[in-house]
Amino acid sequence: MKSRRVALGIRAQLLLVLTVFLAIPWLGYEYVRELERFLRDAQERTLAGTAQAVATALHDRPRLFEAAPVLGNTLATERTPAADGPPVVPAVAPPPAPAGQRSAEIEQIIQGLSRTTARIWVVNRDLDVLARAGTLKGARTPSPIPADATLPRLWQWLDQLLHPFYALVLKQPTEEFNEEQSGRILLPAREIDGALAGILTIDRRQTPDGKAVIVSAAHPIWVGDQVRGAVIVEETTNAVLAERNRAFERLFSIVLATLLIGSVALTLYASRLSARIRRLRDEAEAAIDEHGRVRGAVAASVAGDEIGDLSRSFSSVISRLSQYASYQQNMASRLSHELRTPVAVVRSSLDNLRLSPLPDETRVYIERAQLGLNRLTHILTRMTEATRLEQSLGDAERERFDLVKVVAGSVDGYRIAYPAKTIVLESPGDGIPVLGAPDLIAQMLDKLVANASEFAINDAPIVVRLTRIEESSEAQVRLAVENEGPPLPLAMQGRLFDSMVSVRSEHVGNEPHLGLGLYIVRLIAEFHGGSVRAENRIDGRGVIVTVTLPEASSSQL
Amino acid sequence: MSRRIAIVEDEPAIRANYADALRKQGYEVVAYADRPTALAALRTRLPDLALIDIGLADDIDGGFALCRELRALSASLPIIFLSARDSDFDIVAGLRLGADDYLTKDVSLPHLTARIAALFRRGDLLSAPPSVEDVIERGPLRLDGKRLTAYWAGKRVDLTLTEFWMVHTLAKYPGHVKDRDSLMRDANIVVDDSTITSHIKRIRQKFMALDAKFDCIATVYGMGYRWNPGEV
Repeated sequence: MKSRRVALGIRAQLLLVLTVFLAIPWLGYEYVRELERFLRDAQERTLAGTAQAVATALHDRPRLFEAAPVLGNTLATERTPAADGPPVVPAVAPPPAPAGQRSAEIEQIIQGLSRTTARIWVVNRDLDVLARAGTLKGARTPSPIPADATLPRLWQWLDQLLHPFYALVLKQPTEEFNEEQSGRILLPAREIDGALAGILTIDRRQTPDGKAVIVSAAHPIWVGDQVRGAVIVEETTNAVLAERNRAFERLFSIVLATLLIGSVALTLYASRLSARIRRLRDEAEAAIDEHGRVRGAVAASVAGDEIGDLSRSFSSVISRLSQYASYQQNMASRLSHELRTPVAVVRSSLDNLRLSPLPDETRVYIERAQLGLNRLTHILTRMTEATRLEQSLGDAERERFDLVKVVAGSVDGYRIAYPAKTIVLESPGDGIPVLGAPDLIAQMLDKLVANASEFAINDAPIVVRLTRIEESSEAQVRLAVENEGPPLPLAMQGRLFDSMVSVRSEHVGNEPHLGLGLYIVRLIAEFHGGSVRAENRIDGRGVIVTVTLPEASSSQL
Repeated sequence: MSRRIAIVEDEPAIRANYADALRKQGYEVVAYADRPTALAALRTRLPDLALIDIGLADDIDGGFALCRELRALSASLPIIFLSARDSDFDIVAGLRLGADDYLTKDVSLPHLTARIAALFRRGDLLSAPPSVEDVIERGPLRLDGKRLTAYWAGKRVDLTLTEFWMVHTLAKYPGHVKDRDSLMRDANIVVDDSTITSHIKRIRQKFMALDAKFDCIATVYGMGYRWNPGEV
């Protein structure tokens, strides 16, 4: 009857919306690249500044360049042992040649300007290395992310978890590079050429093994108008790289954590939402049964949001519906109650009139008025029957009795009450114990037989059939009253047992028909824990009303 | 000296009609529309019988309160409830308050006057020696048709008029099934089937209060009731 299939739940929808936020890591990546570019520019400018500063210190000091270089004159190369050795100073080295002394002078100057992370060369026009200071590998590489005690534990844990992933994706700075080729360090020829041509030149190159990138800046050294040499400052990009990696890792971790927390929170929220909505749906469905009768109320939620509002409006709709239903059910009884007083006025007036001396011809009118009044009284009594029954069901006592005996006795009575009809009783020989009120069962059967006799066509028999059904768990007894006659209209089948519903057309008899008979049947059947249904006979030429009652178990008294 | 009947009824037309009818029967009638005036007047002089409606205008249960007050003034005053209300609850409540009978407004004036006459007769004869005629004895049951009183094994059973007449009808021809219509006719009431059922239930309870083994009134489903002579 109900399709519970929801194609895409609220949770799935919200998670789908959440995928939009996957764009954030990409944005972050773009941002970090921008940052890297900026850092590189800054590094280049710094190197250029350093080169210029060194050159400034060496300008216009032709004496420094007069001596021949000590360190060989091949095209901008140097032997490794010298590179690693301590700066050549007079105190340590044996007394060098005068030229060497000059080189040492230059070295002294650049020693003062050198930075820890850069290497500075000074060459003359013949590309002889006059002096050198600093090393590329001395640069302190910052640990990828400093272990910060103030960071939350979760954060550290996440970092540790993600680190292998970052190591795979990002290029890690390393000191393990090798810039030598066949035992020689290559000097950047292009920059030197540029510098010796009098231009500040900046360039970058990869180490021969491809493990690091070296940025270098070369500045000319002027003596007068002449370029007498060049200062070359070199540095690896490791610091920038480390900085970039750190920024990226941090950003990525934050985004990931945010996304994780966000999706968990959203999932929880969506679960709660859909649970509330599902509960509301279940309550609303349970409140009204398949016949459209109000069965229970929907508890109004106190939540201040739209769902709470929906629940409150459901609740008020259901309660209004049930008020209307009870108004409808009580209408008959209230109407009859209200009518009783005016009827009593008419009746007592008529009675008084009858006792007065009146001409004989008026008697007949009094008699007629009396007859009409009696019918009216009868109608009023019938109207209250259902309400009275409802009241008496509340405190009716249940006893164990033999249903077969009660039904048989009642059928005997109906044979006297309806002499024109044939009433057939089909019942099992032995007794069927039922827990309930025999008076009420008899009253219920009265209604069923009265109903059947009214619809039965002339001489067709009314069949009262009593059968036991032994089904799985508990034994039940089925009491069916069958008559041949016009079938039930399809539209009415579910509602026949409601108050004030009747399928009779106006012409039938002069008994009042308020549609309460089958309602009373239903009340009594439900009182006994049973149910009732009406259906057309299979051949379509009659109606069977079946009451199913539970049989009393042997333990029940 | 004519008997004096008090009518307490909020509906003027009904009040006037009943008063007229009873006056024609030779009773002296005083009529009141609400509880305070009725109580004030009746305190000064008690009537011989009171006919009370339960709902008195806005005073929903005014009749019940009035009955309690009158019963406190006199234990023997016959009181009849006459109401449009016919639920078991109201009937039981009314009778518990000490009313002698409970009638719905469906009752006709001849039935009403018959009841009033019967109640007066019962009051008059209660002290006189029992007359031999008009007494039915069925085992432990003894019905005095003149005084309208019933005894079970020598003890008085406190039946209302309606109940007495029902028992009388059943016990007169033991073993005969009396359908609900004839019970109604003999008890001078017009009610529906379920009211008869609850009357019978109350009668059984009254007898069972005296004798737990009482089962002389048998239900014949679909037909009516029957007096079982019993094994005594």
